[in-house]
Amino acid sequence: MLEGDKLRVFAPEPDSELLAKALQDQLARLRQAGAHQRNVSFVVAPPFSGVAEALCRTQRRTLTPPDNLFMTEQDAAVWWDEQLAGGDWIVPELADFWLRHQSGLNLLREFFARIALDNAGNGVVGCVSWCWQFWTQYLPELSLAPYTLAPLTGEQMTRWFNYLASGRGEQQVIARMTHDGLHVLPVPEEKTRLKYSSFTQDLATLARGNRGIARAIWQRALRARPEKSEEQENKENGEKRAPVEIGGRQCWVVPLDQLSLPSVPHSAGRQPGHILHALLLHNGLTTEQLHMVTGLPEQEVCLTLDKLLRAELIYRNQISGAYEVTPLGYPAVRKNLQGRGYPVDGF
Amino acid sequence: MEGFGFKDTFSTITTDSLLEALLVVVVASLLIMLVQKLIPALAGKLGGKIRRYLLASVPLLRLLIIVLTIVTVVPILVEPSFENMVAVFGALGLALGFAFKDYANSLIAGIVTLYEMPYRPGDWIEVNGQYGEVRSIGTRAAEMVTLDDTVIVIPHSLLWNTLLANGNDGTDNLMCVAELFLDPNHDVARMQNLFRDAVFTCPLTKTYQPVLVTVSATDDAMRYRLKAYPLEPREQARFISDLTARAAAVCASEGVRMVSKRVTTPA
Repeated sequence: MLEGDKLRVFAPEPDSELLAKALQDQLARLRQAGAHQRNVSFVVAPPFSGVAEALCRTQRRTLTPPDNLFMTEQDAAVWWDEQLAGGDWIVPELADFWLRHQSGLNLLREFFARIALDNAGNGVVGCVSWCWQFWTQYLPELSLAPYTLAPLTGEQMTRWFNYLASGRGEQQVIARMTHDGLHVLPVPEEKTRLKYSSFTQDLATLARGNRGIARAIWQRALRARPEKSEEQENKENGEKRAPVEIGGRQCWVVPLDQLSLPSVPHSAGRQPGHILHALLLHNGLTTEQLHMVTGLPEQEVCLTLDKLLRAELIYRNQISGAYEVTPLGYPAVRKNLQGRGYPVDGF
Repeated sequence: MEGFGFKDTFSTITTDSLLEALLVVVVASLLIMLVQKLIPALAGKLGGKIRRYLLASVPLLRLLIIVLTIVTVVPILVEPSFENMVAVFGALGLALGFAFKDYANSLIAGIVTLYEMPYRPGDWIEVNGQYGEVRSIGTRAAEMVTLDDTVIVIPHSLLWNTLLANGNDGTDNLMCVAELFLDPNHDVARMQNLFRDAVFTCPLTKTYQPVLVTVSATDDAMRYRLKAYPLEPREQARFISDLTARAAAVCASEGVRMVSKRVTTPA
């Protein structure tokens, strides 16, 4: 498996500034064309889409949530009065501004009331799709026409991986499947003689076009060497293939069906489902917040968190201290929650 | 008897054919037992729609096995000519008709339930004041498990003349109602909004289904009904308890007294 520096070379962190610029340009174009007339724009995207990170890179004033999310209606009104006074603003992640608790809804309810009246200044709001799904059901009259990122197709995914791995196109990268040697990268050219694998199409389907999840699975699939060395394979086949000419860097890719991805452990109780659903609704929560949101005793929350940590479905964010769902575990978590009747996002 | 042709009809029965027929019946019985054990066990490990489909397939498979057994056994014992068949099935029908009139009534109603589907395994039904989940549908009767884990056998013949209430009708959507009686003289609109929040913040609520809070005045209290759908019908008791607890907490924080016992004035 590729690790450390090598992994960062072949599948580096995408540049959030590019997405930030693209988002701002697109919103400005829509505004100029008259398609978007509200002062506040909403960008709703599934988890790991990178929208929050991108919005943080814009030049606007960032609104951060208050320490205490349990506010009365009056306190919420005063808080928003203070926050919205001033210049243009952004909310990178709206899910940070509420808790699914009897006393944790006032802040966002007040916010949406101001937005509905277009009375909140100029702003851009990023919101994770699970949180958005809850609030559109809680406030069925909410009509804000949010924007979203288009899902990546297999072809777009190939281009994106190639772009990331080649250092913005500076170096040629070759990625081949470990089991049959078919190519994944570089991007296929029109008159190419190379045979290509359907890996990225399958990956796009598995990740539902979500770039963050696709990148995480891509990282897990990368290998430094094939299963069998080419020489050994030639000997076994009795063939004498010419060695491949490599102009740039080469890595290998494990097929998706051979990849071990996290799965939700079987449980008779509702605890794992409640915790995973709460984490997705709020884009991460601490143990104490999980206790308040799910109503489960703290000891039970800790036991379940441990189980989910060991299953690689969640991880603890070292900066915020909150538990979050891992991108590798997300497809299994979403499928499990949907199968167990939980409200899931529309992406 | 000779006039009905029974002597000719059963003249082909030999010890070998009897043994063969017995073997077929034994194999069919084993197959039915296997289906009745394995499929519910498999369904128990699965959730959602697959569980419901698997449970629903048990009575259908059993009926199929019974029909196939009869179709296989009769030609083994009797030469399958038209006259013989008429004689055999005519006599069988006559005997069954007299001996098992009520049983046949239930059997026919059982066949009707298979295509009319007034209840399916996994449905939450109320029949004659008994409420529970349909666990299995047999040839003669259905089995229901109440919320107190009591099994109740319902003969299908009840279908003809009994009112039957089906809460989820083959789906996973079962509306539950948590009922509260509050002391009058409070802000009704505020309480309705707070109760709605209580329903939405309950982790067991299917928020994509309607959530309703209704209120009506009774002689001595305001009656609130919190209506919503739990994630799974099986969780209705826990769901209603959770909603009631949340609503009680709202009442406590708002200083509104809950009326737990109706006060009746002496005549």
